[in-house]
Amino acid sequence: MPTITIDGDDYEVEEGQNLLSTCLSLGIDLPYFCWHPAMGSVGACRQCAVIEYKDAEDHRGRLVMSCMTPIKDGGLYSVTAEQAREFRGSIIEDLMTNHPHDCPVCEEGGECHLQDMTEMTGHTNRRYRGTKRTHRNQYLGPFINHEMNRCIACYRCTRFYRDYAGGTDLQALGRNNQVYFGRQQEGVLENGFSGNLVEVCPTGVFTDKTFSKHYVRKWDLQTAPSICEHCAVGCNTAPGAREGWDGKDQMLRRVINLYHREINGYFLCDRGRFGYDYVNCDARLKAVLAARTDTLIESTAARGERIHGEIPPREAVERLAQTLAQAQKGQRRLIGIGSPRASLENNFALRQLVGPDNFYAGLAERDLHLLHLVDAIQRDPRIHSPTTPEIESADAILILGEDISNTAPRVGLAVRQAARNRQRRQARELKIPQWQDASVRQLDGDPSPIAVAGFEDSGLDDIASSRFHGTPEEIAAFGHALAQLIAGKQPAEVSPEYLEMAQQISETLSASERPLVISGCGCRSGEILQAAAQLATALADRNSNPCALYLTCLEVNSLGLAQLCTDGKKALDHLPGALRTEGEAKNPSSVIVLENELCRRVDTATADEIFSLADELIVLDLLHNLTTRRADLVFPAAATVESQGTVINSNGLAQCFYAVYEGPGFIQESWRWLADAAAFCPESNALISTIADWKHCHDLNQAIAEAFPELEVVAELGPDEDFRIDGLEVARQSHRYSGRTAIYADKSVAEHKPVKDPDAPLVFSMEGIQDPDKSPLQANIWSPGWNSNQALHKFLQGIGGKRRCGNGGRKIQRASRSLPDWKPAVQPAGEAEGFLLLPIYRMFGSGELSAMAPAIASVIAQPFVLINRHDAKRLDIDAGDPLEITVGGDRCQLIAEISDSIPFGSLGVPYGFPQVEPLGTEAPARGQLHLLQLETGGDQ
Amino acid sequence: MSSVFEPEVVEVMDFSKADRSTETQLSAEEKREIDAEFSHYEDKASVGLEALRIVQKHRGWISDQSLQAVSDYLDIPSAQLEGVATFFQLIFRQPVGKEVILFCKSASCWIMGCARLQARIEQKLQIAPGQTSGDGIFTLLETPCLGDCDKAPVMMVGEEMHRNLTEQSIDEIIDNKKRRHADESTD
Ligand code: SF4
Ligand code: SF4
Ligand code: FES
Ligand code: FES
Repeated sequence: MPTITIDGDDYEVEEGQNLLSTCLSLGIDLPYFCWHPAMGSVGACRQCAVIEYKDAEDHRGRLVMSCMTPIKDGGLYSVTAEQAREFRGSIIEDLMTNHPHDCPVCEEGGECHLQDMTEMTGHTNRRYRGTKRTHRNQYLGPFINHEMNRCIACYRCTRFYRDYAGGTDLQALGRNNQVYFGRQQEGVLENGFSGNLVEVCPTGVFTDKTFSKHYVRKWDLQTAPSICEHCAVGCNTAPGAREGWDGKDQMLRRVINLYHREINGYFLCDRGRFGYDYVNCDARLKAVLAARTDTLIESTAARGERIHGEIPPREAVERLAQTLAQAQKGQRRLIGIGSPRASLENNFALRQLVGPDNFYAGLAERDLHLLHLVDAIQRDPRIHSPTTPEIESADAILILGEDISNTAPRVGLAVRQAARNRQRRQARELKIPQWQDASVRQLDGDPSPIAVAGFEDSGLDDIASSRFHGTPEEIAAFGHALAQLIAGKQPAEVSPEYLEMAQQISETLSASERPLVISGCGCRSGEILQAAAQLATALADRNSNPCALYLTCLEVNSLGLAQLCTDGKKALDHLPGALRTEGEAKNPSSVIVLENELCRRVDTATADEIFSLADELIVLDLLHNLTTRRADLVFPAAATVESQGTVINSNGLAQCFYAVYEGPGFIQESWRWLADAAAFCPESNALISTIADWKHCHDLNQAIAEAFPELEVVAELGPDEDFRIDGLEVARQSHRYSGRTAIYADKSVAEHKPVKDPDAPLVFSMEGIQDPDKSPLQANIWSPGWNSNQALHKFLQGIGGKRRCGNGGRKIQRASRSLPDWKPAVQPAGEAEGFLLLPIYRMFGSGELSAMAPAIASVIAQPFVLINRHDAKRLDIDAGDPLEITVGGDRCQLIAEISDSIPFGSLGVPYGFPQVEPLGTEAPARGQLHLLQLETGGDQ
Repeated sequence: MSSVFEPEVVEVMDFSKADRSTETQLSAEEKREIDAEFSHYEDKASVGLEALRIVQKHRGWISDQSLQAVSDYLDIPSAQLEGVATFFQLIFRQPVGKEVILFCKSASCWIMGCARLQARIEQKLQIAPGQTSGDGIFTLLETPCLGDCDKAPVMMVGEEMHRNLTEQSIDEIIDNKKRRHADESTD
């Protein structure tokens, strides 16, 4: 390890780094703007100047930009030398000549890197009295504000947006003093990672527009570590809450990134960042609702929807307790329907209450089967589930059937970084340090090979070296052919036109050192998953080393649910049958639905059957939806940010999220509603009293660990509610949290006792541990002098390393089991009718909860149907034509979109989009296409 | 900077043709010239600047439509092309006059009194830098060193270099140009 001297002190430092990141990792404060830990150095801002001395005799030294200076063994540097300090001060002074004096109205204020750096350099007095250059701002869509006058031209925004995230519509325009960062024309930023600009820009040029609508300063936000609930990647987040306008209930104000090295690093996708607002939306359930028994106006409600009225929670709990009692006495059958978007705790609680035999996964059989396949594949010792840094370092990637840009966006961003690995290798050979960003990007090293096989164009096409479009069968056959080629066998099932591509991809994968295969449940095809597994195991056998295989699940706790529900027959498709047999026995049935919208899971006919066969429908959920509208009793359930729980991501990593604030109204965790009902249950037995005894999240964690040895880690994830550090809990509020008594002063001026958190050693106040180095539960990343998120480096093991006080999560310990040898499925020959409908995912629209966030709802595309150009021509369909698709018993209206990539005879239909949910539940499936006649209005 | 030294840099359009500045398609001629230029470059993105120059030669300036047409033709994002267009001073994103005056404002010309001469032009044409005279003939632009310091003060009018400027020579140059354009329009 090289030794360097900074201002007279010797340090042993990591080799190959630049001086700036070295200083920062040593805890030395040194101001900077353009350097970014994930994006390296370009030397653009000149803020990080220090003095470098030739040798001990040299007393003058010379100014160097520390971010561009490689560490030299024996190097002598000074950060504090007068000359360097003056230079840095003058840089800030220059930047400030054009920067407006608008901190009080700037939303960056209080967490602004420019404020921090200005303070740090000691430039506290403005001499410049001239005019400042002013710009016109642009409308950039519903997510991002633009205030260009605040720009200091560090170029971080375009470096992130274009270089890192592959966006094409944000650019540095103009030059000199007039340089402008914006779009060619006003309009919505197109890249799905645009929200990161808010955190990447060191000033207030790009700020969060959704936050603006209910803005408070960073120090006025209450926060706790959370997990993004909008897909199964499991990105870590730091949501912020504050009392709402009524001055009482807390409301969620925003979500920002919470660094997790192995998952999200520094960046979130826009669904994760802006999807939070669903918790505040109009459809939010905050009270207990009961269906009215009188049929007054029921005639107006469609499909058996009920009219609900609020009832006191106590009454509802007692009603549920009666149901439990009847079930205990054998007079009633209890069915539980779990959910992949509910925590392990909630699912487990319901499963215990109704008994494993009566616990249904809340998924269609096909989706449950896919999850079980993923689970089985990941158990094979030859399969390795890669972390984000491992994905980024893959040197050859095959994506089989999964549209990860839309189903696991953050993973897509990681794949984008992997595309540069050949370039990086070339840089290594040329001895160019990796952090020399501009120089490395200039190398014309070929892009690393990334092959994408999917139903249509993918968001990664610009970096793909080969592309294959096909139906699920064709993609699976292609995958099997690759597996055979890799295993050195002659492939059976691949058309000659693709053989060459297959040969070339298999050679690249075989020759690579760190191959990566990606697939997942989004394609809703077991054959594709099997082919991906065959392929990965073939590579593993060939290299005698486990092969990296990333399999995406679709929801935050999909894999967790699969652990609790291992019987593939406990799927919704089988529920009507089960309810019917029960009906013959004349016992009434009560169905308890846990945080699940059944109309997104199964076709309308099946959902309707379940609703009408259930004698009593009890629903616990966050938002009003088609299922709650059919319910007899609706309990308001806590959202992720309002509760504590555990979820298992696509990689089998169990992670805990903590309550950021107390849900408003009567909201509480679903398991608490169930435990309350058990407590009120007049019929007591061992089961009921165990459930009634659950008081803390940890009680459930223990119970889960006991019931499921493979999930033992769940009990070890975090400290329990009694844990203390130096006698203190961790504070959710910052020292500066304002108005703590004033806010209630209209009612009482006495100091309020903070609400007790029954689940975690976290307090809803400022008294407690503030230091993120002392507890992973501290999500407010702040250090003296570092008020922006750039403070993060203070808490990492080296730049880009793990958080010292690691968040982490733990992998569940699944027993390993080898996979069978899967053969390509033989397709039954025969004339197929109609079109093959293929599920198409979109970052905005396919996510159930995020679609209810107003900002996201405003950019969701109209329900579309992708139709191949030739099919469109044959049927005389133009883009924008209204079409109707019938599949099973469902019919949906959509707008035609012409596609060059969707296979002939197939139609791409949106998965999970509002209004057309049934399509997603069926695809891939055969359906009929009808042209709708436009009302012409003329007389014919 | 370097392009400033190239004599052919401001290619003024042939005004006898109809105004095509807002056409959304490139003409066959424009495409042919861009293709010819493209043969000297490795990829399409690098030929962007040349393509803009070619289109500007034909259309006088680069309208949003022209920018989009080039972007479509070369298949490079319009934002990237706009970055190029707004970086180079001699790509005009607004209509300019028939004669573009590039008036040097760097050190030597400044020492030799260019400020006074600039005031003369501004007063004579009633325009400030960046503006076009009411008759649509002249656009005045300030420029850094034109590389003719030993003959300072200097300016370029279209492709012509005018050296050792005095108030008198400026009057002559402008009056001559005015006359020429007046003749042309009465032809
Ligand atoms: S907009 Fe922000 S990130 Fe972009 S250059 Fe300006 S200050 Fe830097
Ligand atoms: S990738 Fe998934 S988990 Fe991560 S921020 Fe986006 S939606 Fe959330
Ligand atoms: S951080 Fe070193 S020059 Fe910007
Ligand atoms: S300063 Fe005017 S030509 Fe050089």
